[in-house]
Formats: sequence, C-alpha cells, structure tokens
Amino acid sequence: MAMRNAYIDQFPKEARVIRAILWSSFLALTIGGTLGLIQGLHRTNVLRFIPSQDYYTVLTAHGVLLVITFTIFFLVGIFTWAVTTSLDRGVKDIRFTWGWYAIMMIGTLLVGVSILGGVVDQIPMNADVLYTFYSPFQAHPAFYVGFVLFVVGTWLAGFDWFRTWWAWKKDNPDERIPLPTFMALTTMLFWYLSSIGVAISILAFLLPWSLGIIDSVNPLLTRTLFWFFGHPVVYFWLMPAYMLWYTMLPKLSGGKLFSDPLARVVFVLFLILSTPVGIHHQYLDPGIAEGFKFIAMTNTMFLLLPSLLTAFTVVASMEHGARQRGGKGYLSWLKALPWRDPAFTGMALAGLMFAAGGFSGMINAGLSINYLVHNSWWVVGHFHLTVGTAAALTFMAASYWFIPQLTGKEIWNRSLGLVQVVLWFIGMTFMSNAMHRAGLFGMPRRTAEPQYQGFDFEPAVGTVAEIDAQVALGAALLTLSVYLFITNMVLTTIGGSTSDAIPDNTYAGTLSGPEDAPVIIDNLKLWTSIAVVLVIIAYSLPLASIIDAGGLFGPGIDPWKPSVVADPSLVLESVRGVMP
Amino acid sequence: MNIHTYEKTWLAVSMVLIVGFIATVTYGAVGPGIAMIDDDGGSIDPDTINDDERFNDPGVTHVGENEYEAAVVAQAWTYTPSEITVPANSTVTFYVTSRDVTHSFTVAGTNVNTMVVPGQISEMTVEFDEPGEYGILCNEYCGAYHHTMEGKLNVVPQDEFDLTELSTDASDEAQLGNQTTINTTVSNDMNYDLETTATLEIGDQQSLEQDVTVPAHGSETVEFAVDTTDLGTGDHDWTVTVDGHEESDTLTVTNATEGGDGDA
Repeated sequence: MAMRNAYIDQFPKEARVIRAILWSSFLALTIGGTLGLIQGLHRTNVLRFIPSQDYYTVLTAHGVLLVITFTIFFLVGIFTWAVTTSLDRGVKDIRFTWGWYAIMMIGTLLVGVSILGGVVDQIPMNADVLYTFYSPFQAHPAFYVGFVLFVVGTWLAGFDWFRTWWAWKKDNPDERIPLPTFMALTTMLFWYLSSIGVAISILAFLLPWSLGIIDSVNPLLTRTLFWFFGHPVVYFWLMPAYMLWYTMLPKLSGGKLFSDPLARVVFVLFLILSTPVGIHHQYLDPGIAEGFKFIAMTNTMFLLLPSLLTAFTVVASMEHGARQRGGKGYLSWLKALPWRDPAFTGMALAGLMFAAGGFSGMINAGLSINYLVHNSWWVVGHFHLTVGTAAALTFMAASYWFIPQLTGKEIWNRSLGLVQVVLWFIGMTFMSNAMHRAGLFGMPRRTAEPQYQGFDFEPAVGTVAEIDAQVALGAALLTLSVYLFITNMVLTTIGGSTSDAIPDNTYAGTLSGPEDAPVIIDNLKLWTSIAVVLVIIAYSLPLASIIDAGGLFGPGIDPWKPSVVADPSLVLESVRGVMP
Repeated sequence: MNIHTYEKTWLAVSMVLIVGFIATVTYGAVGPGIAMIDDDGGSIDPDTINDDERFNDPGVTHVGENEYEAAVVAQAWTYTPSEITVPANSTVTFYVTSRDVTHSFTVAGTNVNTMVVPGQISEMTVEFDEPGEYGILCNEYCGAYHHTMEGKLNVVPQDEFDLTELSTDASDEAQLGNQTTINTTVSNDMNYDLETTATLEIGDQQSLEQDVTVPAHGSETVEFAVDTTDLGTGDHDWTVTVDGHEESDTLTVTNATEGGDGDA
C-alpha cells in the first residue's frame, strides 16, 4: 500500500486547528447566507416575516458574518496551510495558534451577541450599525470590543506565520521565500498597516465614547479611519482567493503556474497600493478636498494592474494545464479542462465572475461616474461578484480539495459539489446582474423596501418587478447552494471513511520559477516602507484637514443608539418640535 | 527579470487602459468641469442649525439671473423642505447638512448624489435643463425607518416658477356694521422686486384689488378692509389671490346683540 502524504499526515496538529478554523468559517457562511435569503425575499416583497425596521439587524449580521467572519476565518486557516506546507515545517508552538484562534472566536461571539440584541429583547444590547458602524450611530461597547479582539487575533496569526518564516530563514539563509509564504506575508503586511486605521477609530474614539468616557466624536474622522481599513479589507478577502488561483488552480488544471516572478510582483503591488485608496469610498463625502479624492482615484486605477496581470496568468496557466491534458486549438483546449472537478470548476467560474466584478469596479473607481452609482444597488451587485463570488466561491471550491487534506476522508459526494458550484454561478448571475441594472436607475442599497411612496423607479429596460424577481430567485439559488455545500462538508466529516487515495499535499509548480525574479522582489522591508510612504502621502493631509475643520472629537455630536426606536409618526412630531 | 512576450504585451495594454481611465476622469474635471463634492461647504455644529442664517429657514432662494440656492436639512427620517421646486434652465447650488446621523441627499436616477455627514455641509451645484419630476431618497442607512426617508424635486418650466409665498392674518368673525381687515403678507425670495396685484374675493359681492411691490428677498403686507354691512350676517368664504397663489378662509359676521356667539 502506498504511503499517503496528505496534509493531515504531514502536520496532524496544524490540521486540527485549521479544521476548527474552517468550521467556524463554514458556520458563519451558513448563518450569513440564510440571513441573505431573508433579506433578498423581504426587500423584493416576495416573502416577509420580519418588520422592515428589523431588516437592518439582519443586514448587519449578514454583512459582519460574511465579509468579516466567514472570509477572514477561511483566510487564517488557508494561510496557516500555505505557510506550513510551503516552508515544510510546522508552527513554532501550536498552543499559540490555538490561542489566536480562541481570541478571534471570543471576538466573534461578542459581536454576534450584541447584533442579536437588535431582535432579541432579552439581550439588553444593540448593534444595528451595519458592518461600517458609522458614528454617530453608537453600538453597545461589546460590539467594539469584539471587533478589536477579532482583529488582534488576526495580528497574532500573522505573527505566528512570520516567526515560522524567520525560523525557516535561519535554516535556509540563501533560499527564496516559497511563493505561498510570500503571498501570506505580503498580505499580512498590508493588513497590519491598514488595520491601524480601524484600531485607532475604535480604541481612541468609538469605544471610549460608547463607555461614556468622551461625549462626542467627529463622524467624518471615524468614517475616514474606517475606510483607511475598509478598502484594504477587500483585498484581505481576495488575497486567499488569489493565492488559490496562483498555487492550486494551475495544478488542478493539470499544469503549472505560468510565472512565479509576476505572481510576486502582483502581491507586492497589493502590499503597496491596497491602503492609500480608501478615500475612493468617500468620493461623495463633504469635508474632503477634490485633490485628495483624485490621488485616491489614481492609486485605485493602478490597483487594476495586479488584477489584470492575475487574469492573464490564471488563464495562461489553465491553458497550459489543458494542453498538458491533450487540449488543442485556439479555444477548444477549454474542453480538455477537468470540468467534473468541483474544486477546478468552482475556482474557474469564480475567476470568470471576478472579471465581471472588475469591470463594474472600474466604473465605481471613476471619480465622476461614481456619482451615478454610489450607494445604489449597483454596488451590492459589484461586491457580490468580488467578495461574494471571487472569494466565497473560490473558498467553497477549494474546500473540496482541502477538507480531504485536513480530514484524510474523501468528499461525500463530488457530483453534488459540482452541482453546488454551478448553482452558485447561476444564482449569482441572476442576482448580481439585476442589482447592477437596478442601481443604474437609482434603486438604493441598504434599504428594506422595494419602492418609495412619492415616486416610482423607471428602468430604461425591463421592469422593477422583473428585477426584484431575479434578485429573489438568485438569492434562493445561492442559499440552496450554501446548504448543499454545508451538507457535503458535514457528511464528509462525520460520515466519510478514511481513504488512502487522498492526493499528496502539494501546490503548483512553475514554468518560470523564482530564479527568474530579481532578489529585490523578496525584500519585504523595502516594499513595506514604500507602502507606508504612499499611505502618508494619501492620508496625512486629508486627516489633518478633517481634524482642523471638525475637531478631533467633533463639534458636539450626540450619540444615536439605534435601539431606541419610536413610531415614525411620533418621530415626525419631534421633528416638528426641533424645526424653527 | 524574465517576462514572456505575451505577458509584456498584456502589461502594456493594461497600462494603456489604466492611464486612459485616469485621463478621461481628468478630462471630465477640467473639460466639461464636472465638480466633485469637496470641503467648500465648510463645517457646522449640528446644535446650531436653527440659528444658522442658511439653515434656519431652509428652502430655495434666488441669487442671480438663473441661479438659485437650496438649503436642505436632513434628519431621521425626513428632509426639510421635503418638496423642492426649481425652474428649468437654472443652476442650483444645494447646501445640505444633517441634524443627527449620516444621510445622503440623492436625486434618484441622476448623478445628483451626496453624502450628508453631521458636522459638515455638502455643497453641490447642479444644472437643470429640462422640466421634470424626481424622487429624492436617502441611500445611507440612518436607522430603523431609513426606507421611509424621501422627498420630491420638481423642475418646472421657467414661466411657471416664482418664489412667492402668502400668509394671512384675519379674524374668524366680526360684528355686523364693524369693519374688519384681512392682512396678507406676500414674501418674495427672488432677487428682484415683485410688482403684482393682490385680489380679495369675499362673499358673492365684494372683490377688492390692490397693487403691491414686494422688495427682493423681502415681504410686504396688503391690508384689505372688509365692510361687514355689505356682507350681512352669516358665513362668508374669502380667497386672497396673488399670481396664482391662494389663501382662503371663512369670515363669520354676527349681529351686534348676539355678542359674538358665532353660530348661535
């Protein structure tokens, strides 16, 4: 009998932690996905069982669970795999690894319970503040503490990988950093840099404010600090997907990665450019001069470069794989790809949708045309293609390869896995396309109702009813896809039997290896310094002018606790009371 | 560094695309002059909105030939004023601020769109070429009834537009034989004097006219003296009309002996 050499055989202790981490991620996906269905059916008026004012509690939980919990737990799990596999050594101390996972879990629970307080009267908390928690909305302090703990957990996770790398470097002083580790480390560097923004926003302002230590904050300042972190977090979700496209997809295609040097260049560009772009989320904000917005726009446009390079490398690597499998012709090589493999097909479809999401992202980045789509349903359509497909579908697809590696068991039903990833693609096509179109004629994001009282939306093509129907249908298919995924994962883990046929734990080789890249590419200190300089250029003057105009703690801004909800007619009375 | 020829070509095309995007946005800013929301509006303490010259009586003001200013206060979950009317072929500068949380001021289906952050004033200049009706909505989550926050923007033909408003001060009842007055204050928010005629119609018999000149951004009160003897006892509906704007109510004339017991 051949010796099996799966991840669980190489690193049994690490495999246990990663399993726990991935299960946390999958649980967040299942709950968050279910909440997405509730929203999709409610806002399109297809099926309603919550009052519209509770929609925002559901929306907050959907956002936080999917874009923070699901994605980042998956990231820390997969980066732990990447670092240990590519350095071929375990983490320094497994207790430390369990420790940062526990901190992230405690953070998640605090945030989750405080959000749940929005609909459960027995919990005297409220955090109906959405995932952006813009002040002067004030959440319960537990929400802010939980958020900080979660981020601190990721910082420690990064430290875990760095010290594993430092130890490896001592033993291998002349070797290039293996590509998966290079990707994990560069990603963590921009994460450290950018999460300083949200840490300052919470620790210096929002948390002391929610505890009554300070009585006012500057809403524009905390908002700007949020987006200092809020755009890099987008790349934080995306980098594990990129890593999988570079290191797994070529292998699953049957070939090799086209270019290791350019993969490194791409990650260096993300390290440099991810953070000094956050103001592109604030193109419509007062109090920020046009010139600062222009700098953010220019940096954002250059961020297209690493994604365009990735598109090339991924397609070229897939073509190489297909030709290794006997594919011929200009396009008929596509038929030679392993389309029956859910891991391959899911990742390939995710990459295809990401291209579409990239195009709508170029519109968003356009400083002037952004005015047409800002905060419209278009934006929701956009990020369901990026985080909601490029990241989410890649993660689910990759799980069909990783879970056998981590458990030593075969996937319970691979055909069902194939159905699942294709269903996601179909559901997202309906939902995202309809949302994009709706945004073009002005339907807003983040609202519980499909229509307003005093006017009707006028689509240039089609009808509002048809758009709503597509969103509801898409949401239903996507949720079904999540349930099929989780069923497959549960039955694999508890029902499947250990198999000796699990493939070896390896990642893709390269056609052009690291020896083709100049050594300076691996100089992380240099790239980090450049990233810091660019952040200083992009942010020092805007932050100084925001503080100068509005004060560090704002001009006496009263907190607004979303829990205290009155009847709207009473509110209108009070409005008349304050009007002169 | 070893880069494949195809990849070099792709890299070059990508750079052309990126530089092209930046160039088009730059052209839009310096050519057609598409201006962004910036820090021109300044900052404001939300507690002082009621004392602020611009926001204590929000609404539309005429400032130049075809130029107007519109001050709007946003708060959960309404805009003041909730209905805004401006003329076609005009340039309108909006000043919007928030009394509480972050809102947006968004004219649905157009690029008239700004965030409204408490402590800040959003300033945005818009050209309205054609008459039309638009919905205004808040596209930033602002609390449990966020979805109810809306307003209306009417762009009317220039000849149907004015900034004239009436308010009337009149007694509800008068004794037969006494004189009573109906005082109508005509305000004019255009930046030129308004020369017009105010008309009072009361009962079936009386129709009074008075010429009035209302100064720019000012108001003038027109006093109509009503002779109750001509009207006789009973309820008399009246209407004051100025340039199509109307104010109406009812005057009850009672017998002197009834001592003002109204309908008795």
